[in-house]
Amino acid sequence: MTIPRIIRVCVLIMGCLGNAPWATAADKPSALVTARKVDHLIAEALQPGNVQPASLVNDDTFLRRVTLDLAGTIPTPNQVTDFALDPDPDKRSKRIDQLLTSDAYADIWSSYWREVIFSRATEARARIVQDLFESWMKDQLTRNVGWDQIATELLTATGSTKENGEIALIFAHTGEPEEIASEAARIFLGIQIQCANCHNHPYEKWTRENFHQFAAFFPRIQVRPEPDDPGTFHVRSADQMAGRQTMRANFNPAEAFSRMDQNRDGKITRSEVSRVKFLADRFDQILALGDKNKDGAMTKEEFESVPRPDANQPGRGSAEHYMPDLDNPTAEGQLMQPVFFVNQAKIQTGADDLQRRETVAKYITAKNNPWFARSFVNRIWAELVGQPFTDVVDDMGPGHEAQSQQVLDLLATDFVNSGYDIQWLYRTIANTQAYQRQLRTPTSSEGAFAATSPTRLRSDQIYNSLIAVLGEGVVPRSRGQGGTPVERLANRGGRNGFAQLFGFDPSTPQADIIGTVPQALFLMNQEIINNAVRSAGRTRLALLLSQNSDDRDALSELYLLVLSREPSPGETELNQVYLTSVGNRQEAFEDILWSLINSSEFITKR
Amino acid sequence: MQSIHERVSLAGNTHSRRRFLHTISAATLAAGAFGFTDLVSLRADDLRKQGKSMILLWMQGGPSQFETFDPKPGHENGGPTQAIDTAVSGIQIAEFWPQVAKSMQDITLIRSMTNKEGNHQRASYQLHTGYVPAGSVKHPSFGAAVAHQIADPAHDLPTVVSIGRPEAGGGFLGVDYEPFIVDNPGTLPTNVGTPVGQDRLARRLEHMQKLESEFASKGGQMVVDNHRRIYDKASRLVQSPLTKAFDFTDESQAVRDSYGSSQFGRGCLLARRLIEKGVTFVEVRMGNWDTHFDAESRLAGLASPVDQGMAALIADLKSRGRLNDTIVVWMGEFGRTPKINPRGGRDHYPRCFNVALAGGGIKGGQVIGSSGPDGSAPVDSPVSVSDLYTSICHSLKVNPEHENVSPLGRPMKIVDGGSVIPGLFA
Repeated sequence: MTIPRIIRVCVLIMGCLGNAPWATAADKPSALVTARKVDHLIAEALQPGNVQPASLVNDDTFLRRVTLDLAGTIPTPNQVTDFALDPDPDKRSKRIDQLLTSDAYADIWSSYWREVIFSRATEARARIVQDLFESWMKDQLTRNVGWDQIATELLTATGSTKENGEIALIFAHTGEPEEIASEAARIFLGIQIQCANCHNHPYEKWTRENFHQFAAFFPRIQVRPEPDDPGTFHVRSADQMAGRQTMRANFNPAEAFSRMDQNRDGKITRSEVSRVKFLADRFDQILALGDKNKDGAMTKEEFESVPRPDANQPGRGSAEHYMPDLDNPTAEGQLMQPVFFVNQAKIQTGADDLQRRETVAKYITAKNNPWFARSFVNRIWAELVGQPFTDVVDDMGPGHEAQSQQVLDLLATDFVNSGYDIQWLYRTIANTQAYQRQLRTPTSSEGAFAATSPTRLRSDQIYNSLIAVLGEGVVPRSRGQGGTPVERLANRGGRNGFAQLFGFDPSTPQADIIGTVPQALFLMNQEIINNAVRSAGRTRLALLLSQNSDDRDALSELYLLVLSREPSPGETELNQVYLTSVGNRQEAFEDILWSLINSSEFITKR
Repeated sequence: MQSIHERVSLAGNTHSRRRFLHTISAATLAAGAFGFTDLVSLRADDLRKQGKSMILLWMQGGPSQFETFDPKPGHENGGPTQAIDTAVSGIQIAEFWPQVAKSMQDITLIRSMTNKEGNHQRASYQLHTGYVPAGSVKHPSFGAAVAHQIADPAHDLPTVVSIGRPEAGGGFLGVDYEPFIVDNPGTLPTNVGTPVGQDRLARRLEHMQKLESEFASKGGQMVVDNHRRIYDKASRLVQSPLTKAFDFTDESQAVRDSYGSSQFGRGCLLARRLIEKGVTFVEVRMGNWDTHFDAESRLAGLASPVDQGMAALIADLKSRGRLNDTIVVWMGEFGRTPKINPRGGRDHYPRCFNVALAGGGIKGGQVIGSSGPDGSAPVDSPVSVSDLYTSICHSLKVNPEHENVSPLGRPMKIVDGGSVIPGLFA
């Protein structure tokens, strides 16, 4: 393959910036080249309709946008000014690279994935593993581990809720095969196959068999409490279920009783069952359930009345997966062979748990499975540019047409060729003009990605921005422990407590994320916020006002601090009128700072 | 098939019937092309004015039927718990409920509830939403679904309130139906009071909204509009006189005493105050019913605040003329095993458990279903979760078959299947 020299050099530079091994650097697409191709495709598509794309954003808007996206916070006033004054024509690309190697990048995106996985958890106790998952994920992102490897780890994980953050996805669904199948398809493939759980998929080609064959990769996962460590759970393979279930199916209590009643006195005692480990281990339990006359022995009648443990409780695991018979829900159902619905690749029933899960992870992450790369590209594009290629970010199945399919395919192909290099994808998208365009209120004649769309900041981004604005140490000491005002105002659990109020499922379409009344009440009335916006004491505002005796200067500084931009002439005028009408500089500035923190712009990426 | 007249009379008064006939052409009526759904949607405005509401008394953890309203004295499964007589002859309940016993003429006990989920969170989700959990759909709670049908969306107060955090919220119906959480009933909820006074808050809000025009003109119009809607709601809550309902200072000491000073008792009083101010659904929660061990020593303490609060609530609603429009539902996520375990407790048991209902037009002073002599299974009139919710819909005049559309375009009924429990209503 011949590659123009200039691109080769470029590739080498990019390879150096990312953590890509040198051996594959020659085949790795250049982020900047792919970015140009993306812009070219979008421009071509806009031509026939004669749609004028929005202009590129100015430096301060770019800096706020890219800092929120790649570092989860707003830039400081100094960063805004320095960036604007920097004459380097490549400063935007350089800033992107810089942010991608920052600790804050791994922080904000590990929290994104925490929300993706746990927002749909069907296991309420899942939260005990959230922090562990986040630090595991942060480590993957810091080391820029490929998305295929991360997905494989999440699908094949075993371990405990105390040590293994990678069990997140499995534990979030108590190891339930149908839930894991649904979530694996949604998160890793962008396909909502679970609609086919109970009936053939209404809009797509998948059948009930397809869904349950996919679920058959996951039946042998067991999630059980750690007996010696209350509150800890363990995800492991339940391959021993294969033997046990046969035993259980063939278990005949009457026969077993006569076998065990060695002295034929019509009772079985502890010593008589001591040879049968399965019963000996459970003899106390059996007595508790069945020993009606409390004589420490079981009569035949008592023994037969003991309810048998149900193998199909959540988390227990099962040797094989059965598709329920809808007409007869109590029947065992139809035995399912594990088959991957995308390409019909299979593995035999009887395979052990890790064989099944490693195999399905291979099928899912295979380079020739287009859904895997596409769904990841769609997510990251949606987060950065403001809207996904499809209507719903995790519903890309065959029935859902993507806008700009060519762009999606190009990015997906190059992402595969990059070796599923996550930082490469961010670098590529952030370097496109599509990412750097101004907002425009969408109209029906609007072409795809001719402008960007505003998006609601995620909980951590708001939390970090509030800290950036309000600073530290402004709360009276008498209130107890230290910490920043925002950490303190979340009371319990800092960032996580704040997320209970401001968090949302990142797979939700933007149009549905409109904020909540308790969020508004918090920003409006919360006491610590109201203390921090005061102009007296050692607050940010007090300092700012003492350093800027001119109102216009003070307003500029305040806007830079909160919104990372200068006020427009119109805004300056509105604020000056306000200052005059209140007639008290300190008070009026408190109100202006409050207004900016409570504005929609502050909680929006624009 | 019902005649059109019977269906129209569901509207309950001649005014609506007249209006109904005005709206619909004679031809439509003659053709019979008119379903229950159409009828309900036509009458939506009337429904919103009817002021129907629901109070859910949620016993988190799964209360034992044997120690609540289905005691089995004399049977070994009954344990040491005694039964006491109630105001209705022939109905006995467990000894821990003397106040509820006096209100029995207003209560229906269902002793034949039956379900399959024996896991706390799955069952709590199901008993809150009517659906078993699925990662792909966030079902709205039943309270949210009802509020979506009959609450006035422009009301100053939130339409769904919960004292304590429930296991399900607005789901796919969105933030308007997310429960408003109250942690400490009797005082203004967190962040509802303004630290700077109403005048200055109003001034700030006005200035903030003026400043928004810049962002609106630069592509943020939609964001600004949504933000304004939320802030309008939030500031109405801060400024509305109705918000005083949260604060008990204007309530007489006698009434406050009747509910008791417990968190649960105060929750019941708040529920009554809120539904009087137009809130559609209030949940009052009591925890720690998961009595796997030493149940005997714990039950009196668990039951006592609920006994007092629940009895006071029913009596208070009745004396204030609200009981007929308010259905009060007492339940938890499942019952407990008939056999007492070696640790002196009972484990999870969804196969047979009990629920108590009052108000909302139900016939009081009766027991529906039976759990047999040993309490192990419903021996007659088994009632499913769907049957229960279909019946509550009937009380609230909500069509249980109304379909909401999930974000993936799947139509989902408010209640999936089920029928009205025979004999429940007067």
